[in-house]
Amino acid sequence: MLLALPALLGLVVATFILSRVIPGDAAATLAGDAATPAQIADIRARYGLDRPILEQAIIHVRQVLTGDLGNSIFTGRPVAEEIAQRLPATLELTFAALLLSTLLGVPLGLIAALDHNGPADHLVRLVSVAGLAIASFWLAIMLQMVFSMELDWLPLRGRIDVALGLPPRVTGFLLIDCLLAGDGRRLSSAMLHMLLPALTLSLPGLATIARFTRSGVLETLQKDFVLYARAAGYGRFRLAAIYVLRNAITVTVTQIGLLFGGLISGAVVVEAVFDWPGLGTYAVQAILAADYKALLAVTLVVGVVYAIVNVVVDVLQAVIDPRVSDGTR
Amino acid sequence: MHRAAFRSLFLAALVAVLPLAPRDAEAQQRPLVFGDTMPASLDPHALFDVPSQFVLLNLYDGLYRYQGNPPELLPWLATGHTVSADGLTWDFTLREGATFHDGSALDAEAVVYSFRRLLRMNRGPAGAFTPVLSPENVTATGPLGIRFVLSRPYAPFLSAIPLVAIVNPRLVEANIRDNDFGTAWLSANDAGSGAYRITPQSYQARVQLDLTRYREHFRGWSGNRAPIEEVRVRPVLETSTRILALMRGEIDVSDSYTPPDQVERVNRNARTRVARDESMRTFIIRMNNARAPFDNRDARLCFAHAFNYEGFNDVILRGQVVRNGGPNPNNLWGNPPDLQPYRFDLARAREYCDRARAAGAPLGREIEIHIQSELDQTVQAAQMFQADLRRLGINLRIVPNTWPGITGATARAETTPDMWIHWVSTYFVDPENWVGQMYDSQFHGTWKASSWYRNDGVDTLLRRARASTDRAERETLYQQAIRQVVTDSPDIWVYNTVNLRGLSRRVQGYQFSPVGSGGEIRLMWLEN
Repeated sequence: MLLALPALLGLVVATFILSRVIPGDAAATLAGDAATPAQIADIRARYGLDRPILEQAIIHVRQVLTGDLGNSIFTGRPVAEEIAQRLPATLELTFAALLLSTLLGVPLGLIAALDHNGPADHLVRLVSVAGLAIASFWLAIMLQMVFSMELDWLPLRGRIDVALGLPPRVTGFLLIDCLLAGDGRRLSSAMLHMLLPALTLSLPGLATIARFTRSGVLETLQKDFVLYARAAGYGRFRLAAIYVLRNAITVTVTQIGLLFGGLISGAVVVEAVFDWPGLGTYAVQAILAADYKALLAVTLVVGVVYAIVNVVVDVLQAVIDPRVSDGTR
Repeated sequence: MHRAAFRSLFLAALVAVLPLAPRDAEAQQRPLVFGDTMPASLDPHALFDVPSQFVLLNLYDGLYRYQGNPPELLPWLATGHTVSADGLTWDFTLREGATFHDGSALDAEAVVYSFRRLLRMNRGPAGAFTPVLSPENVTATGPLGIRFVLSRPYAPFLSAIPLVAIVNPRLVEANIRDNDFGTAWLSANDAGSGAYRITPQSYQARVQLDLTRYREHFRGWSGNRAPIEEVRVRPVLETSTRILALMRGEIDVSDSYTPPDQVERVNRNARTRVARDESMRTFIIRMNNARAPFDNRDARLCFAHAFNYEGFNDVILRGQVVRNGGPNPNNLWGNPPDLQPYRFDLARAREYCDRARAAGAPLGREIEIHIQSELDQTVQAAQMFQADLRRLGINLRIVPNTWPGITGATARAETTPDMWIHWVSTYFVDPENWVGQMYDSQFHGTWKASSWYRNDGVDTLLRRARASTDRAERETLYQQAIRQVVTDSPDIWVYNTVNLRGLSRRVQGYQFSPVGSGGEIRLMWLEN
């Protein structure tokens, strides 16, 4: 975990410099449409935007180290507060997508490997290629057209029915808050609202997981112990599910960890299409408003989440495969 | 986890999902869902842009308010005003009985506090007043009397009065932290007297805002037979989602910019319609007059004749706009009645270009046009222009940018792009909002004056028009200024917007005004 700290510090500095060299005048945005040059200059001075960029970078790093992410240039509110409001929505969606990817991707990969070069294998390959090739934006709109507009099965946008409103906020994770409130109607509404965005977000991950699982299983099937297990009379599926999959899955688990970062960045598009009020839409709004404070904070938070997930993945790997922790692998 | 536990979990999830069917029954009690953009802050003195007008119109009141189309300036919290002969002293009288949402009286002290706060913060709409008004020159002359003493005559003063929301001084004062004028608190809370108030705890910046009707609003509700009790503001980011959400009944009101190619589709839907109202929002292609080749009038005229106005307005935008040949919107006073807009004529454009080249204008160099990537019309206009200019041997390069990116660059002539595209919305209804602030060189450095046009004669005319309190004289002066500006051709004026706001058919009483784009909920009711 300690090794992640220099990486995060680098992230803070790099994103700060990037955010300040891209075009856009935060002071002009903050001043509003009808601002005079004097008003803009006043704001620039008030927020220290007129200082040399190196000085601004040092101030920013110092603020971040003390846990202060500053105020949003656009809304004037503390960025940490705004992110705390948005982060649970993104994490909830990302976890749901990851869960779908894993629950569907691992069995698909296993089936494809067991039917190597057979019809199931070809079908899974098709799904995998499609999952990686189809643009999330297009898929999201197609799902909206089919499931919301044509079939009228699922809601089109948002996290919950507008007429129901949100349950009392405890964790910010809507499903958990609905459960804590014991509110079945809101819970069902929240689950239905999550289906299409989670499905859209899960598809590339599903494809990746299926492919890694397939190749891991294929490799493991060549091992001697599988031959011995077969000779000992284990059934094909029992052998695959208990012995082969456990040996093959460590690579997939690593991949799932890496995917998490990809899913959070993929959420930018998916959240925008489905009006999911998470970090993705927050980042888009920040970019369009040249709100560099918000943008920097989002990058940092995503970086921290990513680092934490990597640590969790390392631990999980050791649990699944003891050879990782005792150094024999 | 055991298999039985998985089974129980799955069943629990299924049971939770099942009670969803009676959506139609619930729809009858649904509040109004407003799907337009939310302002970044709810502090009416901190921001001034198009979305913030929604806050101004619904949560707050001003001394005067624009109503209808063409917009009429009507006394609102004030019963009227008088102005001294020299145009410097303006006295307003408040009507009795107006109250803030906490029940306290809205008096002259609150008005004075609000104007002083705005001027001291120097943000948002303050720019319309700071050149002529200082905080100490706003005083109460009695419980219902307010006096403004301007440093010099400024005719658009009254037009700008509706920009200023009256805030509750007691609430704001109680929430000031670190000399911030209470803006951190007010950015997420309500200190108004308007027809609607914020439902406590409902606000999430740029995500959601719930409003409840304020029954004690000073205008009363007798004019609306079934006022809307609850409003949910839920901005929809993506245009395609916004259209679908409207058609599906998930939102009742979309933004004002329904893409022209979607108008027919929305109107065909049994649930929805598009309200079509000519606004005061002009679409302009700017040219940087301070940089070659646009410092040459013939070069500018070449470009002005090379844009296919009819093709863009009638074909790409399907006739859902109105051709506008000058800097002011057509439907505003102060326009010369005989103004002839430039026409698409490549032969004439070629003649002007040849003349400009002969005078040394570098039309052979690549010209950059900056577009706002997220706004399709700016992209389409630039692509069309690029194709036609190629026929004249001019290479136009399209550069993707954002609004903050462009406005930041226009602060100096050297960093202003060769060309860029934007709209000028209705901030206040006066020629000052368009021709006055776009072509008087004293505004150089603002995005409105970003063509860096300078003509001493025009400067004089615009400054005289600004200082005169005689409307007829102002009208003549603006007409003269506009004639000269159009002759000089500093920019390319393309169209005046027709507002295309998607509405659910259950929304009744929608009334459009260019100020606020019809977002005044007080006037609406719902029919199930």
